[in-house]
Amino acid sequence: MVYSMSENKQKNSFFSVIKDFPAAVWSSVFRHNLPHTDLGRSQTSFTNFFLHIHPVKVHKHTLKPWFTMGLGLISLFLFLILTVTGVLLMFYYVPSTTQAYDRMLDLRGSVAFGVFLRNMHRWSAHGMVAAVFLHMCRVFFTGSYKKPREFNWVIGVLLFLVTLFLSFTGYLLPWDQLAFWAITVGTAIAGYAPVVGDQMRFILLGDTTVGQEALLRFYVLHVAVLPLVAAGLIAIHFWRIRKDGGMSRPADADVIETNGAAPVETEAIPAAAPVMAMAAAGNGGIDFIEKRRYGVQGLVRGPFTKVGNVPDNSVYSYPNLLLAELFVFILTVLGVLVISFFFNAPLEEAVNVLHPPNPAKAPWYFLGLQEMVSYSAFWGGVGVPGIEVLILLLVPYIDRGQKGVGKWFAKERLLANTLFMTFVVVNIVLIIIGTFFRGQNWEFVSPF
Amino acid sequence: MSDKHNAHDSEGNSEPISRRKVLAWLTSMGILGSGIVTLFSNLVFIKPRATYGQPSRFAIGTPNEFPPGTRIALGAQKVAVVREGNKMAAISITCTHLGCIVGVAETGFACPCHGSRFDQDGNVTGGPAPKPLPWFELSLAPNGQLEVDKSKQITAGKWFTV
Ligand code: HEM
Ligand code: FES
Repeated sequence: MVYSMSENKQKNSFFSVIKDFPAAVWSSVFRHNLPHTDLGRSQTSFTNFFLHIHPVKVHKHTLKPWFTMGLGLISLFLFLILTVTGVLLMFYYVPSTTQAYDRMLDLRGSVAFGVFLRNMHRWSAHGMVAAVFLHMCRVFFTGSYKKPREFNWVIGVLLFLVTLFLSFTGYLLPWDQLAFWAITVGTAIAGYAPVVGDQMRFILLGDTTVGQEALLRFYVLHVAVLPLVAAGLIAIHFWRIRKDGGMSRPADADVIETNGAAPVETEAIPAAAPVMAMAAAGNGGIDFIEKRRYGVQGLVRGPFTKVGNVPDNSVYSYPNLLLAELFVFILTVLGVLVISFFFNAPLEEAVNVLHPPNPAKAPWYFLGLQEMVSYSAFWGGVGVPGIEVLILLLVPYIDRGQKGVGKWFAKERLLANTLFMTFVVVNIVLIIIGTFFRGQNWEFVSPF
Repeated sequence: MSDKHNAHDSEGNSEPISRRKVLAWLTSMGILGSGIVTLFSNLVFIKPRATYGQPSRFAIGTPNEFPPGTRIALGAQKVAVVREGNKMAAISITCTHLGCIVGVAETGFACPCHGSRFDQDGNVTGGPAPKPLPWFELSLAPNGQLEVDKSKQITAGKWFTV
């Protein structure tokens, strides 16, 4: 910060103002050159708006690709792709029952890159549901929801629900047969909720049946309300990750000698000064000192921690974490581009309120639900999913053991992991049945 | 006001604290109250007073347009008109399971969504539908038009004689 401005003390002659103009503008925007020292690397994370979301240093364990598999990042990047492509689609979309479908056809016929954008939006939406779900599985199987991360798990479950609801509301917008009947069935499920069910359905649809009012409501939810809710939750999610000490890791990931070696001052110490000022405002410091943990959060949490004076299991976020993120970003974008290039998003015939397609199927991620609904509308559509969500929300408060955190399929967590695996497998099997084994009139058919 | 408080505080007087507590309590209650009112009025706002869909009572034509043996679905109105001899009925074709439109066949009704099946009178014969298809009141208006009133359900089997 202060260090970089102190150099130029010459007189500002007219000529030198002109000559220095580009450099002056450049350095007013970018306060540092690309860093070559540890001091610089810390400052990058601190003074750059886009990078300050990172801690100055991260634990090496966090960077192991197999640990997170980048699934949370993939979810985030898909959300960003969805926002960009979604806003672009909004320039041509009209939420009207008489125009929406024609606008979908226009995307094909008269909008440059229309089909490609729509493909990107649709496939990213599918991908995001999958990525968010897999991310949740990763967090569970590595026991990463344990103290102090309980609440971030709860935020995560809410994010999963918002993702599903975003997809659900987006699904109606093309106003084709698939859209119309999937939403007819989906909102009827809401009507089965006890006491408030009918009211909820009426408020959601703005009418007694799926029509113009429902299209408008879903549109507003899809492009304004839900993305904002999602963005807010994502912000809290990330903030909590930092405050909870970064990614979880096994207790033996940072065995640190505490034999009182005198702190070694390094060149990076000036960077720690503003950090320490911040730490005074926090309250996690004590906890930190006791455990001698040195996490992603280390700098901000521990008033006595200075970069470089603890045997190091951490590396600078710049460039290590940044490159890892960039890599995942490029992979995600590449994946979406390739899939969107080769596969077109489905669009069926325009809505015919009399003739549901037979069988009428929800999007794949709701086919498990639809399969359950075919046994009992209340239990399949409201009872069982409601209990599932409730249990998911309560998981970290029920399973409170501190063993096996930060390890995939830890032996100590055999019971919890088995239960969760059962939940995952049952849902996947239901989805497979709904997708491949259900034909006309939802009768059981063999795909072979 | 706040100046006064500070003065009292520094004297260690406990009275202004309790006054402050009362104020804090009143303020919290005020905020809570307006929060509830806001929430409630937003709910009222978001729930439509008028809908733009089908009216519940509508004319379907004269009895002659439905010769004996008729079993046809009126799509826009979502009812099936059935005539056997001179007995007529208007049966809902909205599946009681999750609201798909059931197909009308000689032998009854079949839902394409989750496979519910109904007999000719709308009773469930299979699938997840929890209730039979409701019958709606049918009447003859003075101008000779048959009228269906979807807000009035009648017991199944109560035919209207023309
Ligand atoms: C963040 C998660 C999001 C998900 C999961 C999602 C999902 C979907 C889905 C499944 C569709 C139907 C796509 C199709 O049939 O082609 C859709 C359409 C649409 N979405 Fe999104 N969306 C998301 C975010 C957004 C955002 C942030 C915006 C705008 C601000 C947006 C604007 C639109 C528009 C205008 C359409 C209609 C165009 C179309 O159907 O192709 N979406 N969305
Ligand atoms: S809606 Fe008819 S069987 Fe489900």
